[in-house]
Amino acid sequence: MGNKTKLMFEFVRGLVAILIAIAVAFILIFLSSDDPGKALECMLLRPIISNGAFNVNSILTILGRMTPIIFTGLGVCVMFSANQFNLGGEGTLMLGGFVAALIGIYCPMAAGLHPVVCIIAATVVGGVVMVIPAILKVKLKVNEMVCSLLLNYVVMYIILHFLNNVLADRTKGQTQTLPFQETALVGDLVANSELTFGFIIALIATVLTALFMYRTRWGYSIRMIGINESFSKYSGMKVGAIIVAAQVIGGMLSGMGGAIEMLGRYNTFLWKELPGYGWTGMTVAILAKNNPIFIPFAAFFIAYLNRGCELMSIYAGVPAEMIDIIQAVIFLFFAAEQFMSKTRQKLVVKETKAELKEKQLAAEGGKA
Amino acid sequence: MSTLMNMVMTTSFWYSIIRIASPILFAALAAVVSEKAGLSNIGLEGTMAFSALFGVLFAYWTNSWLVGVIGALIIGALLGLMIGFFAMKLKTDIILCGIAVNLMGGGGTIFLMYLFTGLKGNTASLTTPQMLTPKINIPGLSSIPVLGDIFSGHSILTYLAFLMVFLVWVLLYKTPLALQIRAVGENDHAAESVGIKVLKIQYIALGLGGALAGLGGAYMSMYYSQSFNTGIVAGRGFIALAAQAMGQGEPVGTMFASLLFGLATALGNKMEGMPGFSSYLVAAIPYAVTIIGLILYALSTIKKVKKIKK
Repeated sequence: MGNKTKLMFEFVRGLVAILIAIAVAFILIFLSSDDPGKALECMLLRPIISNGAFNVNSILTILGRMTPIIFTGLGVCVMFSANQFNLGGEGTLMLGGFVAALIGIYCPMAAGLHPVVCIIAATVVGGVVMVIPAILKVKLKVNEMVCSLLLNYVVMYIILHFLNNVLADRTKGQTQTLPFQETALVGDLVANSELTFGFIIALIATVLTALFMYRTRWGYSIRMIGINESFSKYSGMKVGAIIVAAQVIGGMLSGMGGAIEMLGRYNTFLWKELPGYGWTGMTVAILAKNNPIFIPFAAFFIAYLNRGCELMSIYAGVPAEMIDIIQAVIFLFFAAEQFMSKTRQKLVVKETKAELKEKQLAAEGGKA
Repeated sequence: MSTLMNMVMTTSFWYSIIRIASPILFAALAAVVSEKAGLSNIGLEGTMAFSALFGVLFAYWTNSWLVGVIGALIIGALLGLMIGFFAMKLKTDIILCGIAVNLMGGGGTIFLMYLFTGLKGNTASLTTPQMLTPKINIPGLSSIPVLGDIFSGHSILTYLAFLMVFLVWVLLYKTPLALQIRAVGENDHAAESVGIKVLKIQYIALGLGGALAGLGGAYMSMYYSQSFNTGIVAGRGFIALAAQAMGQGEPVGTMFASLLFGLATALGNKMEGMPGFSSYLVAAIPYAVTIIGLILYALSTIKKVKKIKK
């Protein structure tokens, strides 16, 4: 198959996967809503258009909500590229947010410096935590997936312990820390919206991750290990070190995302459970086919759907949790290598036949 | 510390270990069966959530716990087969299939609960005594002091879980299917070359695994929590994966790993009420213990390998 047809086929296949997911959503909406038309309008249009005009606020919200899932998506990208199914994004993101919150509350600093220090600290801590599953995998062959999953819960409960028993601000009705110092906050990109400067940082991180994965030796090694670990080993790559590096970088990205989300959208730490961005990051990475450059687009799509489901639950009473079913369906079909394989087969046959005919014609033409 | 000792020395403590270990045992056996066929089904968490929900729903619709349990089992098996369809037919990475099922299990069950019952949060308002799996007092055993208090009076599903340890062992080692499952797990190409229908075996393994995880889900909603609620499975499907790894993929070893987790949780529950212990740190213990268990197991295998090499 020519490169162009292949690309076209991949595109169409992705589109069909998304259409199947939306069709599933339609069915669920028809089953659960008294007014399916309104529910559909809420889900598909209202995130950007309301009352016949662009809904700027909602668009800004979508862009703002993209920020954390771009980070977890990038992290998953790097780890999955090396075939490391580390699912620790949840825990590291929460921890990143927590570390940033601590520094934001208890370490007074100059305005420009404060958020930077918070974010860097969260990034480092995120990376350090992911050393655990990575080293265990390389040295002891402990399954990184199981290990990172369990680690998520350990991290969560330790944070909850400190939040509830040590740091809680008892003057407030709900469990939360003291407020962050003004200097620590990540500023709004557009005043009074959910869109902060974090979004810009996320885009920069995207470019840097893409350059790292496709323009550096380490990035190449990570991708090579994902394609064929034995080959990488025998061609002299330090497989162990690279596997550790991939997971640490993944953890750093999630940690950074957590810090930016925390300092951008909140002014006190009040997460009481794993925030779920880690799993969404996985959907995003699958949609982007583990290519960092596509991550923001995938994140936009998911954030859009998320917002749509949220609006649908507010205005049409369909539970917003439907988003998880849609995501799972996309997930299953998008990652399916053999999905629509018959169509691909037909395309290949058709193209080859056409090529042969051309050659035959050319040959006959030559004779005449 | 002595109060803790006193608490540990009670029969109710040992009873609770078995109670806590049962759902994990079901799911861990599911992992054992799939893993023996060479398939990592990490969708157990989501499978349990779906089965927990549908167990309650079927039981509610028919006012019979038995129908509920069978329904949960069937839903579990169907999810296992669905994972198989995507993994084997459409070649989605099986790990991703598992993650997708877990994703669905997280929010999807909440959505379906609302769809079928109009309830949000939990189904406690639907629960009737007929919907809960009965406790069984074993005649003879129940009248023995201490032993009776610990081993008698559990849910019927608990006894089924431990019976399953034996049945899974039989399935994996003593039946014609046994050799085929393990052959496929060891090397599917070799298995295929001697005429084993690899696909069929893989579907059977995933279906059986799903059914087992489904029973674990039924246990959660129809006995342990007495209703379905959001976040009911709370990582048990993941812990089951760890239990399988710790138990070296063997039914009996996996049973002990599940009981170890039960012990850690039961200890945590006892410590929670005591002054000076943080309930949150205590809640982290089972997960941390499981990680440590994985490490110890890995160290022991490495030692073994070294010995053999010498």
